[in-house]
Amino acid sequence: MLANMKRALEGIVVCDFSWVGAGPITTNVLGQCGAEIIKIESTKRPDILRKGGPFKDGNSEGLERSGYFANRNPNKKCISLNMSHPKARDVAVRLIKKSDIIINNFRVGQMEKWNLGWEDVKEMNPRIIYVTMSLQGTSGPHKSYMGFGVNLNALCGLTEQAGFPGDRPFGTGTNYTDHVMVPSHTLFGIMAALLQREQTGKGQTVAISQLESAISMKPTDVMAYAGSGDILGPLGYGDPDAAPHGVYTTLGYRKWIAIAAFTEDEWYSLKKVMGNPEWAQDGKFSTLAKRKENEAELNANIEAWTKDKYADWLMEELLQNGVKAGVVNDARGAIEDDHMRERDFWSYLDHPVVGSTLYNRAPIVFSKTPIEMETAAPILGEHTKEVLTGILEYSEEEVEQLTAEDVLT
Amino acid sequence: MGKNGSSLSDVRVLDFTGELGPYAGKMYAGLGADVIHLEPINGNPLRNIGPFYEGITDRERGLQFLYYNGGKRGMALDINKEKCRDIFLKLCENADLLLESFAPGYLDNLGLSYDILSAVNPKLVQTSITPFGQFGPYADYPGCDLTSAALGGFLFLAGVDNDKPVRACDNQAYRMADAYAAVGSSIALLFAKKTGIGQFVDVSCIESVGMALENAAQYWDLEGTNRRGRGAEAGSASVHPCKDGYIAIVAIMGKNKPMWGPFVEWMKDEGVEEWEVFQNDKWIEPSYRRSKEGNEVFCRVFERFAMQNDKLSLYERGQAHRVAISPVSNGKDLLENPQLKHSNFWQTIRHDNLDGNVTYPGAPYAFGNLKWRFGNPAPTLGQHSAEILKELGYDENEVNTFAKEGIVYVG
Repeated sequence: MLANMKRALEGIVVCDFSWVGAGPITTNVLGQCGAEIIKIESTKRPDILRKGGPFKDGNSEGLERSGYFANRNPNKKCISLNMSHPKARDVAVRLIKKSDIIINNFRVGQMEKWNLGWEDVKEMNPRIIYVTMSLQGTSGPHKSYMGFGVNLNALCGLTEQAGFPGDRPFGTGTNYTDHVMVPSHTLFGIMAALLQREQTGKGQTVAISQLESAISMKPTDVMAYAGSGDILGPLGYGDPDAAPHGVYTTLGYRKWIAIAAFTEDEWYSLKKVMGNPEWAQDGKFSTLAKRKENEAELNANIEAWTKDKYADWLMEELLQNGVKAGVVNDARGAIEDDHMRERDFWSYLDHPVVGSTLYNRAPIVFSKTPIEMETAAPILGEHTKEVLTGILEYSEEEVEQLTAEDVLT
Repeated sequence: MGKNGSSLSDVRVLDFTGELGPYAGKMYAGLGADVIHLEPINGNPLRNIGPFYEGITDRERGLQFLYYNGGKRGMALDINKEKCRDIFLKLCENADLLLESFAPGYLDNLGLSYDILSAVNPKLVQTSITPFGQFGPYADYPGCDLTSAALGGFLFLAGVDNDKPVRACDNQAYRMADAYAAVGSSIALLFAKKTGIGQFVDVSCIESVGMALENAAQYWDLEGTNRRGRGAEAGSASVHPCKDGYIAIVAIMGKNKPMWGPFVEWMKDEGVEEWEVFQNDKWIEPSYRRSKEGNEVFCRVFERFAMQNDKLSLYERGQAHRVAISPVSNGKDLLENPQLKHSNFWQTIRHDNLDGNVTYPGAPYAFGNLKWRFGNPAPTLGQHSAEILKELGYDENEVNTFAKEGIVYVG
């Protein structure tokens, strides 16, 4: 990155009560763009992701070895604040007064219990953006239903088509919505409110419904049903507008290559790379419609060609001939991929307990403002003293007093 | 406009995207920004993608086109024509944000590089959305949703053991890039608003899917293992058949015993045959739930019960027992979902040209002051070409000449 570039979100302070998945991913992106993220935890209630695997060398002792936690929380400052202590609220209030954004993903009512709901907070700081994240909104028959990303994937309709015909649906294999739909909509909502604040000078609430934001990025199933009564069937690895469009076995353990041809030109190029085999000249593969009709046979023929080849070499040859192709990388493959490396997508940050470990930056490259990966995820309470005596302007004596009273644990 | 805080109407967006990129502009349109969708004279290729309204193939009926471009105005132009260059520069002069999904170098070759656009309008933010980004070894290679999901390590997770992976619907590698393009643009817009300095923002599918690897990269880095998808452990993120489809259930995670209790209670209260097997502490061990025996017993007992009930009923009864169960929804389930009905989520918009109503997803979020809106139906091809050209200062005669020369298409 260029030296001395001005950071895009320089001067923005975030009071971060969020934990686990979508909230910390949101503030992670803000932090990389230069916002100051103050993460509030407590030894009495640590971010539970600190106990989520993987752990450095498989050792799960303590709260500082989780890579799951780490990758969501670099570049943040962490203060430990025992919110169950009556004096803790004053510390939170001082932070809120200095903040541009306050974010939580607690169950509805928790912030209000601390008298830190929107009505209270806007009195303290009328310019603040107040962010909440509910699973399915705050009213209605299912408002208190519970669910993890896997549940939300299924509920929002992402799982239904992600399977092979005849098998049970599988989905993405991850808590997809937590990582994508929810943080990206939360980020956009926050930024829209900040843009608006430039006009109005006023903060506002931003309430994300996890279910509704997820559906916004997968509209087709409902639109098709409402428009013509159609239920969309399982996709496997296919696509209605391309053939071939698949994942083919190559040499190696769980090694596949993805190949797709949307146009006749792409199909022609693929045939050329395959050496124009006789089967490919058959009339039953001559148009997209015909290839779709005979897709199983088409895929079997292509796989017979790929299965004794190296995926990476094959990809190179296909790409150079204008055919869309990609190795189905496992995590190691993606980490070691030259393209991802040359783009500095990955970085290694030093941490006092686990040493140098892997992080990824936000998928945004700005030409004039940096995305910075500077410090590893914080130790629980690592910055308590620094933040209190710094931005919150407590004296050393006051901090000692609060520590003695068990407020800062 | 926008002074009362209810809309981003003072933000003007040019959206020159096709199959990749359109949701980014929609996110702006949803909050009231003035978004102009620019498309080739012969139409955005997304217009040709199904499913189509009422099943009739037509460039004005593609449901994905209609959804992603709802709330935008539309202009059709031939960017490759020399005379179009001036029109495009004028558009950029008056815009805050240009979203585009051209192959890297395409606009540069037309004499429309960011440097040139920026000379016309220094606060312009240009965000490019491509499979592989503007630089790096794959930058000039062709890519698509499937291959970027594959290369970024995301596709691999959608399977267990030696199974080939499956894809989720709606081109999620594209959608992730769209969403992060909207986010990156908004960060650059705030910076431009404060400093007057615009910039170029490079968003790629391959990196965006890298945000969705969950903890897989760290599993390799910290423990030296390449994980695959969840779903092979009975009762912990597993999918099971029921009377009218499937449900997904997370009755336990890791060794979290307190989480398992409500599930056992539920089975007992339903009088499920053999429910007592779930009382055994061996279910707290993930290795047992992953074992052949564990999986067989769970499926035998739970699915015998599930097969007698429909997904909505299992959802509501399980949730009443504080069990994290949910339906594997299809389009019908979603349209009829009681919670989404309660929030009036689905938007029914009248399309005069189709002589009918189209149903769309609604607001992904709610603000104190900003108001989300669907806006007008997506533009028909060239619908606002003349209107927009006149806003740029061209007169009727000039517009007609542009149309005659094939520089623009006036719908």
